[in-house]
Amino acid sequence: MVITDLLADYAPFLFSRKAKYATEAGEPIWGVMAQFDDVVNAYHAAEKMRDAGFKHWDLHAPFPIHGIEEAMGIKRTILPFIVLGAMFTGVAVAAGMQWWITAVDYTGFTVQGKPYGAWQPFAMIIFEIGVLFSAFASLFGMLMLNGLPRWNHPLFCKDRFLDSSDDKFFVVVEARDPSFNPEQTSRFLREIGATAVELVEDA
Amino acid sequence: MSQIGAESYEQIMAGVAADPRMDRDNVSAPAGAAASLSRLLLGAGAAGLAITLVGGFVLGAQHALASYVVAVGAVLAASLGALCMLMIFHLVNAGWVATTRRQFENLASLAPVALLLMLPALLIDLVVTKGALWEWMNPEAAANDFLIGQKAAYLNPVRLLVFFVLYFALWGGVSHRLRALSVEQDRTGDRFLTMKARFMSAWALPLTALTVAFAGFDYFMSIQPHFFSTMWGVYIFAGGVCAAVAIVILTFCFLQFVGRMQGLVTPEHYHDLGKLLFAFCCFWAYIGFSQYFLIWYANIPEETFWMLERTTGAWRGTAIFLAVGHFGIPFFFLMPRTVKRRPLFIGIGAAWVLFMHVIDYVWIVRPVLHHGGHAPTPASWWLDIAAIVGVFGIFFGLYVIRLGSVSLTPMRDPKLPEALKHKNYV
Repeated sequence: MVITDLLADYAPFLFSRKAKYATEAGEPIWGVMAQFDDVVNAYHAAEKMRDAGFKHWDLHAPFPIHGIEEAMGIKRTILPFIVLGAMFTGVAVAAGMQWWITAVDYTGFTVQGKPYGAWQPFAMIIFEIGVLFSAFASLFGMLMLNGLPRWNHPLFCKDRFLDSSDDKFFVVVEARDPSFNPEQTSRFLREIGATAVELVEDA
Repeated sequence: MSQIGAESYEQIMAGVAADPRMDRDNVSAPAGAAASLSRLLLGAGAAGLAITLVGGFVLGAQHALASYVVAVGAVLAASLGALCMLMIFHLVNAGWVATTRRQFENLASLAPVALLLMLPALLIDLVVTKGALWEWMNPEAAANDFLIGQKAAYLNPVRLLVFFVLYFALWGGVSHRLRALSVEQDRTGDRFLTMKARFMSAWALPLTALTVAFAGFDYFMSIQPHFFSTMWGVYIFAGGVCAAVAIVILTFCFLQFVGRMQGLVTPEHYHDLGKLLFAFCCFWAYIGFSQYFLIWYANIPEETFWMLERTTGAWRGTAIFLAVGHFGIPFFFLMPRTVKRRPLFIGIGAAWVLFMHVIDYVWIVRPVLHHGGHAPTPASWWLDIAAIVGVFGIFFGLYVIRLGSVSLTPMRDPKLPEALKHKNYV
């Protein structure tokens, strides 16, 4: 499931999701997009979306909204564990590399009269490579978890969506959500205060 | 940030004063309980010091002095760490710390007391035992030992006592004034006292940094006068801040356990204090390792003998325990967010770090007993425990008195509105 999602995101030419629904024109449906005109409505809509049990949905706003992660029911990121794993990898790589170089491969090469494989000078490199791996894991793990980088996004084909960087708020539900249904979801979004609802075709 | 007028400021502070969390009961220590606790601690302290004195006759002056200096060093560094953190909080205009700052003030104001506790050891070794612990205090040391003779311009009793007075004046004056300004603000509500405290911190912080380093040279490094390390002052500072933050965390855990400070110290404040504890444990390890590594790498006999005594032979185990216990265990234990946000867990972490802080001073001072062929048996550790109980009893007895004599949090600090709704968004 995760692998097919990743493939669909990063290599759409190799693998694309089969759309469950299609528009009247026969275009596959990627999801549905609902416009909210002010932040209070958008915030409460997010709470109702959370309570309705949607999984694959998002909210787009022109500015950060404090407390929106609770309103949307977003769980804490797993990024710290990825970084911790990367740190251990870095530590193991640095320790193994230096130990192999000084104690196995290049024995007989005395540096400053110190013993072969002395752990003291390893410590800095272990620290630095641990930090380096952690930093890379933080940056690239964050991008990965955000689904970046990507070629394009179906929402970019919608003119209305440009307002999400101006003064409008958009709740977007993807078709891969288990409880998605074009008519029912659109109706639900109107009920919770959307001023406009539009189907988004897969692009 | 724009300046707000006196009128709207009054309005905001009236809101703070009306906050149920600032209720008198919630922000003052239980009077009777604080008095009896301080009596108990002072009593235990007096008993411990009496046993230490007896131990001096039973096991030798050097052992008793070393045990006593271990304990005084631990509390002196902790109070100086609190003083440095307090001034840093003022200088960076820290908002979240407003509800917790009073305990840093209480702890910092004990720096001159901890320094006074050092005085009997110095005078006894200067006058009575003539260099039993501080080798250079022996009047013949300078003549018999070339290196001590070369260092006599610094290592002499007059300079030691003059610097003692300077430290006492600076730390006593600054810590007393910073606490007095904060207490005065409770009474008058004058918001510009905060500016005064900040101005004072600006000139006092560099001076305190220098005097902490020199006090470290005077009382701990000169125990083995051949040894020198340029990172010594930073090492003392780093360990001291660890202990100071740990003591403040433990204070709040205890106060909240007895039903005080409810809602004033939230998981958010514990979280930030825990971050400081975590950061300074890492900083301590960074400095400690750097000091060790440079000495190891340069391989100069005057420096290496000190590390050799402490990292090989009988003290090897302590060195490893120190590295694991003061860095490794806190590093992984304090890393998860949930640990830092729960008073029980962060309290356990803080108690552990405080324990390791004492072990740090044991590791710095005690190996000197193994120096001249005289090696005390493991059974003689009762003297060290007696000295630690004695000094910690006196120090924390006075701390409880300080704590009980004023409100537990600043009452009219201009940063209170920010601290009361403090939240970590990460």
